[in-house]
This record gives sequence, structure tokens and C-alpha cells, in this order.
Amino acid sequence: MPLLEPGALAPFEVESVSAERMRTLAALLRDPTPIHFAPEVVQQLGMGEKVINQGPANVGYVINALLEAAPDARIEHLHVRFLANVFAEDRVVAGGTVERADDDSAELAVWLDVDGGARAVEGRATLRRR
Amino acid sequence: MGVVGHRYPQGSYTIEPWEDRILRDTLGAPPARGDEAHPLWGYIAAQSGIGTDIEGILEPVDAKPSEGTMIASCELAVERELRVGVPYTATGEIAGLERKHGRRTGPFDLFTFFIDLTEPDGTHALRMTAVWVLPRREDHAAA
Repeated sequence: MPLLEPGALAPFEVESVSAERMRTLAALLRDPTPIHFAPEVVQQLGMGEKVINQGPANVGYVINALLEAAPDARIEHLHVRFLANVFAEDRVVAGGTVERADDDSAELAVWLDVDGGARAVEGRATLRRR
Repeated sequence: MGVVGHRYPQGSYTIEPWEDRILRDTLGAPPARGDEAHPLWGYIAAQSGIGTDIEGILEPVDAKPSEGTMIASCELAVERELRVGVPYTATGEIAGLERKHGRRTGPFDLFTFFIDLTEPDGTHALRMTAVWVLPRREDHAAA
């Protein structure tokens, strides 16, 4: 039985990206970059009006989609590119497509889309059965 | 390109169970199974475990977080799943610094570095490779 059936993963959705959770993650990451917690800096830099989600958090949503789709697998390889910013209060959807799978492994295209906006993250993942 | 090969100070990181719980809550992730850590720790433990902070990672390439530094790509090559409570050793170095020019953005550098996490018995657990965008002024020479 293949690790995953070919086709689309169930999406992982975040209804509204939280500015408060960005602050928590900034502390956890010890990331002093102010665009994640100071909207006035985002505005001064001409990057928008609201604080910008950490790139690793956007990857975290993609990972969550993988964890929920294949709880018996581990992520062996993940390569993602960051294409657009995710702002506070955006609705985002992480997804993936299984492109190849056998009993022990699967290869997928993965992404994170901003609802009504741009693709924020895209990449590839390889999963392996534990 | 004199900074390529620059090695960062070695450090270590132990993912505490409470940290994993907070990260999972922050991301809306499924609960942990046993002592496994959320896979995103591959990025966080690497970056936090290396023996300097984000300002120190950027110092050799003459950049600062306040200048609008952003992540461009990230790669995790995982040999062993990360677990909570394990003191991982972090080692890493600068792998690239490349000047680019954007029509809208002006000059910027693509800055590549990697960090390896190793278990206490010397087993290699993973390599995290990150590429960051460093906005530059016209008069800033490539390092």
C-alpha cells in the first residue's frame, strides 16, 4: 500500500494569521526583525500596513498539511521558496500534490496560498515511512 | 566573496517540551507523538543553536535585521527526526553571497548559509540551508 495516494492533500487552513502569534514566535525564534511585531516599521519600509508573518511560520503551515496527511511518515527533505509576504489577518491555505509514491516514500509539490492573493510559498517535499 | 566559508561559533540547542507545545499552538499543529519535535524545529533549533544570534549571523556580511532582511528559501535535509530533550550540537558556515539588482527593489544580496545539527553521539541529524535577501544601498560594496 503506497504511503500516500496520488492526488491532492487535504488543505491546512488558517482563517486569520494572528499578529499576537507572530510576537510569540519572534520571542521563540529570538528574531529581532521588527517587521514581525512593529507595524510602523513595515510602513516605513514601504512593505505594507500590517505586520508580516515569519517565513518559518509559513513553512510550518505547509509542514502541518504534511503531518496531517501522513502521520506515519517523517519529512526526509523539504525545500521551499518564499514568493510573497503573508500579513496579519490574511487567510492562508497550505496544500500539496502527491506526484510519486510507493510503500516507503512519497514526493510532493507543496505550497501556501494567500486567499485572494499571491502564492506565498512553494516547494517540494519527500516523505519516508517511519 | 571573502566571507564564503566563514564558520560561525559552534553552539547547542535542546528543544524543551514546553517550547514544542508553544510552537505547535502557534502554528495550529497536531499534538506531539512521544518525544518527537515538530519538524519546523529543524529550522528554529539550527538558527537558535548556532553560537550567535541573528545579528551575529548577519555581521560577517555587514547587514542588520532592521534593514528589512527577508528569507528567500529554506531547505531541510533530515537524516534523523528531531526529539525534545536532546542536546544537539550546531555548526555552520556561510556558503554564498551574490549581488543582484532588481528593477523595483534596487541592489540586494542573496546570502546563503547552512547549519548542521548533530546528536550527542556524533550522529548527523540534519542540515538546514537558508537563503536570505539583504537589501543594499547603491554605494554598498559586496562583502
